[in-house]
Amino acid sequence: MKITLINGSPKPSQSASGRILQFLQPLLESERHENTLHAWRGPDLDSQDALDLCECDALIFAFPLYVDGIPSHLLNCLMQLEERLAHIEKDIKVYAIVNCGFYEGHQARWALAMMENWCHRAQVQWGYGIGLGAGGILAGDNAIPLDVGPNRNLGQALRKLAHSVTNRVSDQNLFITANFPKLLYKLGGEMGWRKNARANGLRARDLSMKR
Amino acid sequence: MRVVIHDLKDEDSAGKVIEHLGDVHVIADDGTIHRCLGCFGCWTKTPGVCVIRDAYGDMGALFSKCSEVFIISKCCYGGFSPFVKNVLDRSISYVHPYFVNKDGEMHHKRRYKNHVRLQVSFYGETTEQERETAKGVAQSIATNLWWDLAGVSFGDDIADIRGAIS
Repeated sequence: MKITLINGSPKPSQSASGRILQFLQPLLESERHENTLHAWRGPDLDSQDALDLCECDALIFAFPLYVDGIPSHLLNCLMQLEERLAHIEKDIKVYAIVNCGFYEGHQARWALAMMENWCHRAQVQWGYGIGLGAGGILAGDNAIPLDVGPNRNLGQALRKLAHSVTNRVSDQNLFITANFPKLLYKLGGEMGWRKNARANGLRARDLSMKR
Repeated sequence: MRVVIHDLKDEDSAGKVIEHLGDVHVIADDGTIHRCLGCFGCWTKTPGVCVIRDAYGDMGALFSKCSEVFIISKCCYGGFSPFVKNVLDRSISYVHPYFVNKDGEMHHKRRYKNHVRLQVSFYGETTEQERETAKGVAQSIATNLWWDLAGVSFGDDIADIRGAIS
């Protein structure tokens, strides 16, 4: 089966979405699927990407939750892809993984609903989505392997997804969060923001600056 | 201050759609908006403003000075159009990077204390499922920005939404 993975993060490196797809690739390969990874960081859909996508059996998107929805550049690309897909014969199943900076994976529910609505417009089949909370744990240079520590729930969800792709399963959306206490995630996040501010020559209290 | 964010083109007679709102600050598509880079510089490099210094770099500060926000957007899959979403993506400096719990959910802490009433008007042909999604999206955005959602309306075309916001 030909599977196309799309990283919808605008970040050139160290994105949580990229990390999730890196985890997923070997799971798909173990199911004997050929997969190719595309990164969509801008608002214009690459013509070659569009051709590749039109010929695949499954599309798997991974992107960050931006203001309760799909990042605007990815939305642009989806609209262009809808145009392409609407005019061809295809049998494509679509899955999406949305990572939230918030702790609760269900905060991705509206972004996943939009992906499902996109599938109807593009006349492709919606599989299901995964809303991952506490996605900040995966960003940066974090090297925690899949199925270990905070990535245990993600491991289970990605294994289920790989099987679902193989069997072309559609299901209810799955909402998970990292195996990590909410309070520690909050405190760790705040520590990270202060560290970044100091690295930029600011004081911690500057984070609260009003304009 | 009242702010209108819209994606209407000149040929859509944007002025006529919003003229009844009176004195408003209008955020419209001049074709130059840069996409959000996901760098979080608006929180940790230049807190409160976006590091991209185009015409849309001070959305957070603008929101801090307003009491009403009107959004007029084509409904795309149950969400906003790419331009309107881009404006919102570039606006996260309005909130603080720290987290707080609100009704059992994690949200960003407020940076400002002003009260804002949000009205959203979607236009374009929509399905029932897209309208349900759009209502959920509008409420979630209001919750995350600490605003009050005053209403969400839908119109098949631009003529239908004239007067839907007031």
